[in-house]
Amino acid sequence: MNNKLTGTSAAVLYAITAAMMIFILAPIILVIAISFSDSYFVTFPPEGFTLRWYAAVMQNEEFTSSLTFSAVLAVATTILALSLSVPAAFALARGQFFGRSLMKGLMLSPLIFPVLVTGLALLQLFSGFGWMDTKLKLLIAHTVVTSPYVIRTVLTSLQLVNPSLEEAARTLGATRWKTFTRVIFPQIAPGVASGSIFCFMVSFDNYPVSMWLADSANLPVPIVLYRQIGTVFDPSVATMSTIIIILAVAVVLTLDRLVGLRRAMAM
Amino acid sequence: MSDIAIMKQDGHLRREAFGWKAIERRLLSPGILIVPLLVFLLFFFFIPAIRLMAFSFMTQNTQGVIGTPFTLAHYIRFFEVDLYRKVLWATIRISLITSILAAILAYPVATVLVKGNIVTTRLITLIIIAPLAVSVVVRAYGWQLILGNGPTGLLNYVLMNLGITEVPLALLFSDTAVVIGSLHIFFPMMVLPLSSALGKIDPNIQQAARTLGAPAWKVFLRITFPLSLPGLVAGFTLVFSLASASYVIPALIGGPGSQMLGNMVEQQVLAVYDWPFGATIATILILIVIFINAVSMRLLGGRRIKASAQ
Repeated sequence: MNNKLTGTSAAVLYAITAAMMIFILAPIILVIAISFSDSYFVTFPPEGFTLRWYAAVMQNEEFTSSLTFSAVLAVATTILALSLSVPAAFALARGQFFGRSLMKGLMLSPLIFPVLVTGLALLQLFSGFGWMDTKLKLLIAHTVVTSPYVIRTVLTSLQLVNPSLEEAARTLGATRWKTFTRVIFPQIAPGVASGSIFCFMVSFDNYPVSMWLADSANLPVPIVLYRQIGTVFDPSVATMSTIIIILAVAVVLTLDRLVGLRRAMAM
Repeated sequence: MSDIAIMKQDGHLRREAFGWKAIERRLLSPGILIVPLLVFLLFFFFIPAIRLMAFSFMTQNTQGVIGTPFTLAHYIRFFEVDLYRKVLWATIRISLITSILAAILAYPVATVLVKGNIVTTRLITLIIIAPLAVSVVVRAYGWQLILGNGPTGLLNYVLMNLGITEVPLALLFSDTAVVIGSLHIFFPMMVLPLSSALGKIDPNIQQAARTLGAPAWKVFLRITFPLSLPGLVAGFTLVFSLASASYVIPALIGGPGSQMLGNMVEQQVLAVYDWPFGATIATILILIVIFINAVSMRLLGGRRIKASAQ
């Protein structure tokens, strides 16, 4: 019982917490509300109720094709980031080599490095690669930014795995590959799953890298939305935003189902 | 007999150490699996980042070719021109205010998150984490709608209807707007490390202090706060690093006086085509982030050493 919050100080804590929850939800809920507004300009309070903007947005070729583009880019990024980072995380957890903790720091460093600068550095590098397709440039850039998320989640789950299980499998004659697929992978699957979800979302939402590398034939959703905000003043922008919000919430709920949010974020 | 067996084994191992088996073992050791990602990051992260920083010491001729002579002129220009100094100051000011506000507001939320009942905890976790998956662009747009300067902005509409203000306030396109937007985006980065630090505190210590007559504020100040410092430092570092590198928030809801280093980099490269100067501003941004992370690592490392010495 001593662990529970009671008394006036508890009331204050709960009040501040509730206010913060409203603060966090307000802009998101407002965007959703405006998306149904039956007016030609964005105004508060929203007027009437209509699905007109949803119909309009679905007709908007630029937006729908950017949705597909971003989804494909995010899936490709996730696959590439996983195939590079899951082995690397395994090396960091189980390998014995000089400078391992320095290596871990290096592998995680794109996480704290200003993302905008990562994009700029790649723009500078790619400016000499005229032959390279924009799609490939975006894929590489997004993989740089997302790979540390996989490293972090997989590394954390590998640290929870008891190495003696692997040793037992090896002693009993399992090959390295078989040990990985039958003993290690099932145990780190939640870490890989949350790493993939982080990858997908970070790539799908990314603005500051794509802004340097995208061109008019290859437009990710956040770039299209950003341009719309500056040029379109009807509720269709809110509708596009709502579609993105729904997708994000679906992804978060999937993560919660698969791994549990608290655990996923701790990784 | 066992001695002979060991000697035999030993000899076997020693022979193996020079043979193919040893090389094979080396190649098959788990450490080798780091190579693909290492090579990838070397080519597409470390080398480009270093090249970009090198650009900040180079000159660009009238044809736009960048090369020697090496110079410090861009750095001198950055610190001499009023405009750039103002942008640097705005970046530090906004990131600092955001981090401090986030820390103050995160304590109550993290406390409820740690000590609340299971339903409250789940709800708070969901509300804190779900917006992380929503693009910054969408959230900045949401704040545009709330802070809108006309009478149809949500906040102005509410304030005017409540009679708190007669004329709509100019909230959007200001420092305040950027701080509000940044707080919204980076708040989870403060709450998560803080709540995990608070969760590790043994509640018996707080209970003992209470039993011995310490008032709640004193328990917080003398017990909870010092024990939560690792989480606070981690959260502060994260929020400050991320906030100082913002681009979207100042661009969409900031005013001319609240543009940050990131916006200046974009402008120099994409509008002025001054690559070396853009690289200079980018390098300064990198140095700010490295500095705050190094300080925080020292603080956390020092604590760990102190704790293990006790």
